[in-house]
Amino acid sequence: MPETNEKIYICRCEEVTKEEIEQAIKDGATTLSGIKKRTHAGMGLCQGRTCQRLIAGILSKEREMAQILPPTIRPPVRTALIADFIKED
Amino acid sequence: MNQKADVVVIGGGVIGTAITFYLSQRGQKVILIEKNDLASGASGACDQDIILQSKNPGIHLQLALASSQMYKTLEKELDYDIEYENTGGMILIETPEELKIMEDFVNRQKALGLQVEILNYKEALRYQRGLSNHLVGSTYSPQDAHVNPIRLNLGFAQAARRYGAEILLETEITKIKVKNNQIEGLETNRGTIYTPVIINAAGAWAPSIGRMIGLKIPIKPRRGQIVITEPVPPFVMGDVLSARYIVAKYNPELYNNSESAAVKLGVGLSLSQTRKGNILIGATREFAGYDITNTRTGIKEILKNATRLIPELKEMNIIRAIAGLRPYTPDGLPLLGPVNGLNGFYLAAGHEGDGIALAPITGKIIADLITDGKTFMDVTALSPNRFLM
Repeated sequence: MPETNEKIYICRCEEVTKEEIEQAIKDGATTLSGIKKRTHAGMGLCQGRTCQRLIAGILSKEREMAQILPPTIRPPVRTALIADFIKED
Repeated sequence: MNQKADVVVIGGGVIGTAITFYLSQRGQKVILIEKNDLASGASGACDQDIILQSKNPGIHLQLALASSQMYKTLEKELDYDIEYENTGGMILIETPEELKIMEDFVNRQKALGLQVEILNYKEALRYQRGLSNHLVGSTYSPQDAHVNPIRLNLGFAQAARRYGAEILLETEITKIKVKNNQIEGLETNRGTIYTPVIINAAGAWAPSIGRMIGLKIPIKPRRGQIVITEPVPPFVMGDVLSARYIVAKYNPELYNNSESAAVKLGVGLSLSQTRKGNILIGATREFAGYDITNTRTGIKEILKNATRLIPELKEMNIIRAIAGLRPYTPDGLPLLGPVNGLNGFYLAAGHEGDGIALAPITGKIIADLITDGKTFMDVTALSPNRFLM
């Protein structure tokens, strides 16, 4: 990542910067879920589809890539209208 | 690495971190041990309610009232934004039978000092728009509030550290050392800690800690699934529950004969909106062991129930579902206090769905009991010995 004085946004949905993610790691986060809970990165509309790899990259400076587990996978796979979800099968 | 502490707290959820904060504030040297991460269990997968109205009039409501008082100054004490808001709350009533039960419930709550009233359908609409016209009415209390549970958990931990507490994450206990019925310390994958006092605040996992010393703790994991919408403009007035949730909790016989999926899953409405605008729609109450997956039926029944009460929700999109394990106890009350016959071993677990509401008061009570040997109210009814004797 280029060195710059400007903020680098990692999670665009929740507007979480690289600096905030590094701070979360300093505060004790060692997993993607831990970073998510401390910064909200990955909690937005896209649910981490864009930022998860970038965050794993930042975390890999502290922890072996092979040890970084994916965060809990939860439904829905993509944004879903409630009206559609409750239709009878 | 060997260490020494006045107190070791097991569990890094809201309960464990609250206890660690209040004890550290009083100058105790506390080490908190957490197997995974802060907020990695139920505290990171729950709704945000500090709802008083749902509490059974009795010691449960007394605890909640005392806790809600503490919440008013907590943000300042922790010096951390926990997104606390005193929003008020309501419980939606669908049938005349529910109304009767709720009238009695509300009267008994009033007698204990809760500000709460029954509203008719028209009055209820003034607080929450979009209510289905089949509703009979609702309750309303200005005292209900909410808080971001993850921020609360992190805030307690950070403030406790400022007072000197040490928080060991990803640390697993392998043995609890007892000599002549007195706690001596414990062994972890990171070394031995010598301490005369251990507090088991491991929530739904408290029984596995108990088993290490031969204690049979009657806590069971009860899964609560919650569905989360995209951020939307302000829509939910505060904490909105349904009377079915209360009736199912305290008068389950009313629904016992039902074969519906919703009843089997223990679905009851719990609705609130976060500061960012996401609506949390809950929840189920199911016994599914330690399985924290979301189920299609669970999500569907939650949404069917919520849209039956507030049809406008149908137009919103969901982005996520979560599930957490609430620590259920047979009588619905937490297990708080020392364990007879095992000097230095305390329990602070079993809050089921009330851990967020009761975290501050639990922290205070345990800190009182450990530093002064007594607390400000009679907590005999909460003693773990009611099950362990």
